[in-house]
Amino acid sequence: MKPNHHLDDATLLSYSAGALPTALAVVAATHLERCAACRARLLDADRIGGVLMQQQRIDAPADDARAAMLALLDAEPATAPAAMPADLMEEADPDRLPAALQPWFGHSLRALRWKRVAPGVQRIRAGSIAGGELMLLRIAPGSKLPLHSHGGNELTVILDGAYDDMLGHFGPGDVADLDGQTQHQPVTSPGVPCICVAATDAPLKFSGWVARTLQPLFGF
Amino acid sequence: MMVPHPAVAEVAPFRAKRVVAPPASNATPDAQYWSMQMAAVSAQRDRASFMRIYDHFAPRLQRYLRNLGVAESLADELVQEALLTLWRKAGLFDPARASLATWLYRVARNLYIDQVRREPHWLPIQEGLDRLDLAESDRRDSAPESLIDQDALKQAIDRLPAVQAKLVRMCYLESKSHSEIARELDMPLGSVKSSLRRAFAKLQGSMGGAR
Repeated sequence: MKPNHHLDDATLLSYSAGALPTALAVVAATHLERCAACRARLLDADRIGGVLMQQQRIDAPADDARAAMLALLDAEPATAPAAMPADLMEEADPDRLPAALQPWFGHSLRALRWKRVAPGVQRIRAGSIAGGELMLLRIAPGSKLPLHSHGGNELTVILDGAYDDMLGHFGPGDVADLDGQTQHQPVTSPGVPCICVAATDAPLKFSGWVARTLQPLFGF
Repeated sequence: MMVPHPAVAEVAPFRAKRVVAPPASNATPDAQYWSMQMAAVSAQRDRASFMRIYDHFAPRLQRYLRNLGVAESLADELVQEALLTLWRKAGLFDPARASLATWLYRVARNLYIDQVRREPHWLPIQEGLDRLDLAESDRRDSAPESLIDQDALKQAIDRLPAVQAKLVRMCYLESKSHSEIARELDMPLGSVKSSLRRAFAKLQGSMGGAR
């Protein structure tokens, strides 16, 4: 199924530049794994990087650096260069977590050890991650989350289930790429729990006293 | 200049074959020139072609990494590593998909994130994304590289309004996040993002895809 909600251009540019904070980059990669359209836009962003890299003002390489490079080639085994692997498709396994999440959360959706943080809400936080927060959330079907906005940037990708908010319907593979301007109140779809991965580079801001009591849910 | 650059002599007969041949004198090598050098590296393991690539790109990659704040000795190592990757994986280079400049940019950027920012598993994840694209190359949504006019992209970058040009450079050449840029320039985060969006739309427009 092709995603309907995509990465913001500014997010893609930052990803291409290697400038996206780690937590956001992990979630962006999770979407990219499922979205050929965003991978194509990423290639355009990389082309900009290629041109900027080529425009760097330079001196000619030094003789000793050239000699060192040639010595490295001498040390290489005299084999043919790596060719295109024959079979590239991985079989679709609904239990397999996206590759970008595996270093943080393991391989299997079923094997996740959820922690209840509020009625109908379970969470797993990634270990220490520089300059942000990365977490998996599992929200019971038909739940209404508190109205909140974002102090900085927030990226969320749906892994299973779905939710609706003022921006539309978000299903598996869809990314919600939000910044401080957006205030939203997601409502999860009936049927199965909504499992998503979310990253922020700044604390969330909840409105109202109910929301404030739920603030610990997100751990800030 | 200690090394005479063979590019001009090599490129002339190739350019003659083109329908619209730009003047061959003082022309800088273009994407197709580099594809031919890569073909020679891949098929014949040709060191002369490899060193032409090295002479052009190694100093540029080195400057790119130094600008990102990488110490000189580590930058030298990463440049060697990037070029060694090119030597080993020349067979994976697909000129229809990306120019050599784009390809080497990706390699150097990935090495920077892996070894300087030390993000776990960045390299295998990016390689996984590349493999997905190879598997789906029959239904690509980006314009094929052969249709992309590198000069038009360069001109579009030069024509960006001053603020957009500054933000794009801070992003790519200083690897600053949106929040860092906003703090440094005392701009609202939303303005940083909308300026970058406008810049990307213009640059994408110059790449010929009707998107």
